Amino acid sequence: MTPILELKGITKQFPGVLANDHIDLRLEKGEILALLGENGAGKSTLMNILYGLYQPDQGEIWIDGKPVTIQSPSDAIEAGIGMVHQHFMLIPVFTVTENVMLGDEVVKTAGVLDRQTAAAKIEEISKTYGLEVDPHDYLRDLPVGVQQRVEIIKLLYREAEILIFDEPTAVLTPQEADELFLIMRSLAERGKSIIFITHKLREVLDIADRIMVIRRGKMVGETMPEQADKNSLAAMMVGRDVNLVVEKIFQEPGDIVLEVKNLTVADKFQNVMVDNVSMDVRAGEIVGIAGVQGNGQTELVEVVTGLRKLESGSVTLFGQDISNTSPRRITELGSAHIPEDRQADGLVLPFPVAENLVLCTYYKEPFSNGVVLRYDQIMENAVKLIEDFDIRTPNALTPVGSLSGGNQQKVIIARELSRPIQFLVASQPTRGLDVGSIEYIHSRIVQKRDEGCAVLLVSPELDEIMELSDRIAVMYRGEIIAVVPNRGVSKEQIGLLMAGVLPQGDIPTDENIVIEATF
Amino acid sequence: MKKEEQEKNDLGKAFFRKFNKEDGDEPKEKKNFWQSISIPALAILTGLLIGAILIVLTSPRVYEAFAQGFLTGIGTAFNEVYVSYKALLTGAFGDIGKIISALQSGTPHQIRVAINPILESLVVSTPYILTGLAVALGFRAGLFNIGVEGQLFIGAACATFVGYSIKGLPGFIHMPLALLAGMAGGAFWGFIPGFLKAKTGGHEVINTIMMNYIAFRLTEWLLTGPMTRQGAGSMPVSPVIEKSAEIPQFFPSPIRFHLGFFMALAAAWLIWWLLFKTTWGLNLRTVGTNPRAAKYAGLSTVKTTIMGMSLSGALAGMAGAVQTLAINRSMAIGLSSGYGFDSIALALIGNNHPLGVVLSSLLFGSLRNGATRMMVVSRIPIDIVSVIQAIILMLVAAPGIIQAIYHLKDLKTGDNKVFLSGWGGKA
Amino acid sequence: MRKKLVFIISLLLVASMALSACQKDAAPAVDQPVTEDKVKVCQITDTGGIDDKSFNATAWKGILDAEGSLGIEGKYLESQETADYEKNINSFIEDECDLIITVGFLIADATTAASAAYPDAKFSIVDYAFDPALPNVVGQIFETDEAAFLAGYLAAGVTKTGKVGTFGGMQIPTVTIFMDGFVKGVAKYNEVKGTNVEVLGWDVEKQEGLFTNSFDDQQKGRELAISLMDEGADIIMPVAGPVGIGAAAAIQERGGAYFIGVDADWALTNEKYADITLTSVMKLMDATTEAVIKSVIDGTFTGGNVVGTLANEGVALAPFHNLESLVTDEMKAELEQLKADIIAGVIVLD
Repeated sequence: MTPILELKGITKQFPGVLANDHIDLRLEKGEILALLGENGAGKSTLMNILYGLYQPDQGEIWIDGKPVTIQSPSDAIEAGIGMVHQHFMLIPVFTVTENVMLGDEVVKTAGVLDRQTAAAKIEEISKTYGLEVDPHDYLRDLPVGVQQRVEIIKLLYREAEILIFDEPTAVLTPQEADELFLIMRSLAERGKSIIFITHKLREVLDIADRIMVIRRGKMVGETMPEQADKNSLAAMMVGRDVNLVVEKIFQEPGDIVLEVKNLTVADKFQNVMVDNVSMDVRAGEIVGIAGVQGNGQTELVEVVTGLRKLESGSVTLFGQDISNTSPRRITELGSAHIPEDRQADGLVLPFPVAENLVLCTYYKEPFSNGVVLRYDQIMENAVKLIEDFDIRTPNALTPVGSLSGGNQQKVIIARELSRPIQFLVASQPTRGLDVGSIEYIHSRIVQKRDEGCAVLLVSPELDEIMELSDRIAVMYRGEIIAVVPNRGVSKEQIGLLMAGVLPQGDIPTDENIVIEATF
Repeated sequence: MKKEEQEKNDLGKAFFRKFNKEDGDEPKEKKNFWQSISIPALAILTGLLIGAILIVLTSPRVYEAFAQGFLTGIGTAFNEVYVSYKALLTGAFGDIGKIISALQSGTPHQIRVAINPILESLVVSTPYILTGLAVALGFRAGLFNIGVEGQLFIGAACATFVGYSIKGLPGFIHMPLALLAGMAGGAFWGFIPGFLKAKTGGHEVINTIMMNYIAFRLTEWLLTGPMTRQGAGSMPVSPVIEKSAEIPQFFPSPIRFHLGFFMALAAAWLIWWLLFKTTWGLNLRTVGTNPRAAKYAGLSTVKTTIMGMSLSGALAGMAGAVQTLAINRSMAIGLSSGYGFDSIALALIGNNHPLGVVLSSLLFGSLRNGATRMMVVSRIPIDIVSVIQAIILMLVAAPGIIQAIYHLKDLKTGDNKVFLSGWGGKA
Repeated sequence: MRKKLVFIISLLLVASMALSACQKDAAPAVDQPVTEDKVKVCQITDTGGIDDKSFNATAWKGILDAEGSLGIEGKYLESQETADYEKNINSFIEDECDLIITVGFLIADATTAASAAYPDAKFSIVDYAFDPALPNVVGQIFETDEAAFLAGYLAAGVTKTGKVGTFGGMQIPTVTIFMDGFVKGVAKYNEVKGTNVEVLGWDVEKQEGLFTNSFDDQQKGRELAISLMDEGADIIMPVAGPVGIGAAAAIQERGGAYFIGVDADWALTNEKYADITLTSVMKLMDATTEAVIKSVIDGTFTGGNVVGTLANEGVALAPFHNLESLVTDEMKAELEQLKADIIAGVIVLD
């Protein structure tokens, strides 16, 4: 049988980087092919070539056994290729129908839009493939998962046969991701062919029919999910064996470093975001805050780091009251903060790496004498940290925005962890990063904990919380509903707590597990 | 474990080598230089070419010549352009033949007249440099200061007032005092929208525009009322400033070249130093580029916004002060040909960098100065130069056009990105 | 397509270079287009520009007239800001102009300075008088209130509502002198006929009134004209250069009201509004400018001030053109008599 899509020897050279090096790829009809690779491995370049955004320097694209040239996205759509982008290309103030029609409008006489016909077609598509969505809803009212469905419908509406999903789960909750997988499966069963780009190993093993691994622009391996496991895939991706489990030795926690008492925080509309929360973090331990995103973790972190004002309650750091204190003073007390959104909060993207590495300390010795910056010291610091933290950058003067996500995060990690700190707030420290970077960042955080630093870790990724934390606090609707030591507790138990289900008496049988419910 | 670390570090080093050595520092730098210069250079060339077409289309002599015959018409058209641009060039930089013969003649007046064009270009560039710096500084702080024109008017009014009302001071005190008064006035006019932005979130674009209107009407009122010249019959013109308040001109008439030009260069250097060498500058640039990260890093956006806007206003006020103290010697309506608005263009062409602002100001100043000569010689209206300037600006702001016309490779340089984000980014 | 464009542009470039290179040898004189011994008269505008429909344009018309009648060569430079005045004068000094005409009180300082620096050069300034007079400058000023007086008398006779209006561009003497004369003319009519015609927009006693504070924003002229009409005025005289166009447009749209132009004869310069233009208070700067040029050619040029009056026809009331029918023969006779009285000094304004 002819494959529906074949790429033959695709090569693409960017200045200084060989993004794709003679890549061959074959996609059968009705197949889900996972394309696995680290950030910057060349997956996106390859797909952009397929989608007409780049032209390959060499190589051919064959569809249904015929060579084609794709010079633009409209050529790609013509050829039956559709792409679900990581960042949706949708207009919030339009309805589902209008969004789907956009660019392929059905018109009645005199150019009047025929919304009815389009809406009927959308309903038919959504029924066929199990993509539940109301064509008349406005996009801005829909949750992210449903918005993604609209993107998929857009492709099906244009009768795409080959669907490319670019990191589709990056923006989804675990539940939404599971729903997406069901949809992908149903699409494949109805004869659509899917390329699924990801760096998440679990997803690949769950959903793919076949797995291809790309590394540094080269196709380095092909396997079936049945023959692979996380470790083998990680090794293929990174090119060496990877420690997926951080080695961590139990240690007795020290004094209380951070103490939060009856903390209540409201947003600007006076909605209570953090509700009467009390907790503490001790020296030499990692306290992980688990919870589905949007349950008050962000606000809690912002109060602790001085970025947000509290309504009532108190926050004490090293025995000093830091309620409504400036971020700079909190930093100067010996704390560090890895922010949730690294590009928005943690970095100044157009600035060089060197300046970003002193973002919180540039005004102090040795980087400044109070007035004038000492660039020799700043550069020296940068060169040292680039080396120490293995930040892959052309040089210290490269704008940080041109680095990959993982290396951007390393810049933050280097800046925050290189200071003599006693308290670290790590908010989603590995969001959107690849296996290699995650491994590295995890080991750095644990290293800090081993040195006696108190760590407050916030992450919606339950795996991460389970791997790193000494204690786990579960946040649900602004409250901490349970704090449990991370010994013997199961993922399912925490998962239930995250959904707001408090355990009945019979669940924690292990004596070591103490549920400290706050109400 | 250890071994892996080692391996990884080597890998990092390999990366370093790859980027630093193999691609080679030197050719890359060179390439970047030519890339960053190619767009403005081609934009200027294209602007002049389109200007040439306009000159031909607006010249009645060309139409007359075409009536006589096609070849005569073409010849006249090229001649017209040649004469116009030659006048533009000699008007801006002087006529080499004239300079040589003047030097040979040795008559001081003739020499002065011969070298005047290039010095006059510097004179015309001076307010461009200062206002361009004002806008660039604002952009660096994430503020779009459209109020430069109003700040310039207030600065001029303050400097003029100090210039004529205080008498009997020695020059080395009076002139700096008047200049400082102008800067303070401009700073105050910038402070108000800065304060409103920082404390209430009132958008600086709207507030600076409103402050412009207030400044225009206020200065008109001042000039016909409290600051009017006795015996001028309530004409909107101020008294002439004291000799001691004048910014000295270096040569006798007709050369107007004055100390203010060097003050503008000094201001450019100072702004560069502040922006790129001091903690204050890093602070300002951080707030301007990413206010959220600034907050995260513990910086005060309030202080920085107010400071940035005030300093921007001070530069604009200095432009007004220099114009009145060095050139006009009194203030009247019609003080500015729109420096406050041209300066936005200059800051953008100069990529919000002090050196870039100085260079683009020199270009615009020379063009405008040369235009006078062009008008004298060939009756080409001075407006043609405004059109050429506008075209150059559009081409620089939309590099895609230049790339398309000259079939350049897509230049995705970092510079362009900064340039564009400076324009609309943080509004 | 692109390649073609590049090719064409390159071709044009090369051709222009080649041609201009030839031109250098072939026609070296083209650099100075006119090199005969024509008298060179050079005008420097104020920031209003050459086509301000006001004194800059009128003075330039005088030069153009002189080009025809006296065979001179005229040139002008537009000033964009105050700093340009000195620069432009210097440019013309360098260009060896025989007479430099500056326009407006704002250039007075620069003209004074230049006249001292270049005692051999000849200057004339429009709308400004030096006191004491300078030896090489002719100041041209105008008793426009004389003509405006006639316009006011006429307006008072023609109005049906008993209200007439005026407004100025800016409260400066060269503007308010029109308004003074206009109000006095209306008062004269009231005195003679025992009527009670009101003038809106200017109070001679208090020297207060309506101003647009702009000589180029036509919208403001429109707004003021509309509000004057709302107040009942049916004849309006805007003294604000091109801002008057906005007023004329507003009057034409509403109808039932008339317009009095200033400076030039608006029925001729703005034909579009000829049907509503009752008359114009002409300030004949072109005539006085032409006279100064003539004195340069004749060699009779001396510094001093020239005052345009009804007597020397430096100011005048324009013909009524299309609205002739509105003006009774009796009124025409009265206007002639008033003019004679002013010239004779029987009626004294001030």
